[in-house]
Amino acid sequence: MKLSNEQIDQLFAFTRQHYVEWYDLQSELVDHLANAIETQWQENPKLTFDQALNIEFNKFGVFGFMDVVEKRQAVLSKKYSRLVWQHFKDFFGIPKIVLTMAMTLVLFSILKISNYNEWIIMGLYLILIVFTFYKIFKNRKIRKQKMQSAQKRWLFEEIINQYGSFSGAIILPLNIFIEVASHSDKFLTNDYSALGLSFFFVLLAIVIFIIFKIIPSKAEDYLLATYPEYILEKL
Amino acid sequence: MKNSQLYKGSLNTIIMKLLEENGKMYGYEITQKVKIITQGELNITEGALYPALHKLEAEGILDVEIERVDNRMRKYYKLTESGQKETINRLAELEDFIRNMQSLVNPKPNLEF
Repeated sequence: MKLSNEQIDQLFAFTRQHYVEWYDLQSELVDHLANAIETQWQENPKLTFDQALNIEFNKFGVFGFMDVVEKRQAVLSKKYSRLVWQHFKDFFGIPKIVLTMAMTLVLFSILKISNYNEWIIMGLYLILIVFTFYKIFKNRKIRKQKMQSAQKRWLFEEIINQYGSFSGAIILPLNIFIEVASHSDKFLTNDYSALGLSFFFVLLAIVIFIIFKIIPSKAEDYLLATYPEYILEKL
Repeated sequence: MKNSQLYKGSLNTIIMKLLEENGKMYGYEITQKVKIITQGELNITEGALYPALHKLEAEGILDVEIERVDNRMRKYYKLTESGQKETINRLAELEDFIRNMQSLVNPKPNLEF
């Protein structure tokens, strides 16, 4: 006996009830449960759908689908970090390394020439923060709408949209910049530390640019590469 | 899984070996195949299988394909090119391990006496 469409829908609902929110995992688990239930019916046709489902679900152990979900999240987060790293490396390969070096040198020269270098560095950092927050809030709004419209959710898409674990990274160096700005006579008059700081700032800007601009703009491609079923849903 | 600690380290290799022999397989099919081959002795738990598959996929050892079967989508796994090479390595490793364990558990009588 085969499962009916209604029963497949019930299985999707069942995975949602058990905290599997993403369609990519849902569809794989639904197929697994459906196969398992159909096999059970071959051996014991008297079982009801719910009984058979219960037996199969118990095989996943006391934590149910949690293990599968957590591991999947870990794997995809790692994949995301690798993606960021790949883009990051680009900025140190030819030809982009020229840009990286040029930006560092320009910033260094400005800091060296200007008398207001502590304001410049804080100002630039503020621009980065404002840009980040603007992106985060804009994104959150779009995501909220998507959730309410009951569209299918994809785990990797969500990781991209939540920027992995990087979104907090913009605030982390705040102390460094405050320290530098308040002791600018010490840090910014010294060529080495000014050059180091310029380079650090450029690195930070690159990472933010990758996470908030480059990867989201290519998100569709990455999702297609991750999920062959993604294209079926988009048609 | 029976005696899970002993089998755990070999789960990836078991999956890769099965895919090498059968081309593409889906999760449930793998659990059933293992059950048949080992005559019910070895039962891969669902909670261990899918994380292993997803990890191998992320490592580039497996590739996925989606097919619509009946009224649902089925996700097939198959070895990538680098996965096929890796399978040969891991199988050799596993065979070494089995041989070493065998000689440790059942040492051959020393014939020099």
